[in-house]
Amino acid sequence: METHIEFTTQPIVIPAARASTRETGAEVEFRGIVRGTEQGRAIAGLDYEAYAPMAELQLRRILDQLHETWPCQAAWFIHRLGWVPVGEVSLYIRVLASHRESAFRFCMALIDLLKKDVPIWKLTSPPATRAEAGSPQKSK
Amino acid sequence: MKIFAFSTARERAGFAELDLPVDPSETPRTILGRVAPQLPLAGLRAAIDCEYWDWDVPVGTASELAIIPPVSGG
Repeated sequence: METHIEFTTQPIVIPAARASTRETGAEVEFRGIVRGTEQGRAIAGLDYEAYAPMAELQLRRILDQLHETWPCQAAWFIHRLGWVPVGEVSLYIRVLASHRESAFRFCMALIDLLKKDVPIWKLTSPPATRAEAGSPQKSK
Repeated sequence: MKIFAFSTARERAGFAELDLPVDPSETPRTILGRVAPQLPLAGLRAAIDCEYWDWDVPVGTASELAIIPPVSGG
């Protein structure tokens, strides 16, 4: 399976769409968008932070694990870090598979596991200082 | 060893990053007891060299300890 994992402090640029192979029959995309309220309170945006090296390691493990159950041909995972204003995309996922069931279930399970084990956090206000290990990085 | 505190754990620990000598027989719990005794560990996870780790297992020759509060990506 082809995988793309990226953390960026810039607005997410959606990768150009393309089929992975002639066997690709389904493409599922997900965009997580910052809502204007958090726990019932109006907010201007969210501040995202990651322990990027560990987040990437955990994500690769999750992608491999999900691929065993829901075979896919390619998966993109892009997470924005730093301040993200309301209405902007904080998370982008794209999954290519032969069949829709694998693509949908892979995407759903990836988001569930992201929210369980991947060291990424959001706060409603920017923190004063951060650990250097949280620096954004990009890998393919 | 580098010690990182992220997100909500950072304010409670009182630091974002520390660098200090650690004995291989120490555990994440004993290390945090030295550098942030005021920090309650309930609800927090430890990670050693990017892997989740038991609070009471010795860290050995690892180079990084991270304090991981509940995650909330997405």
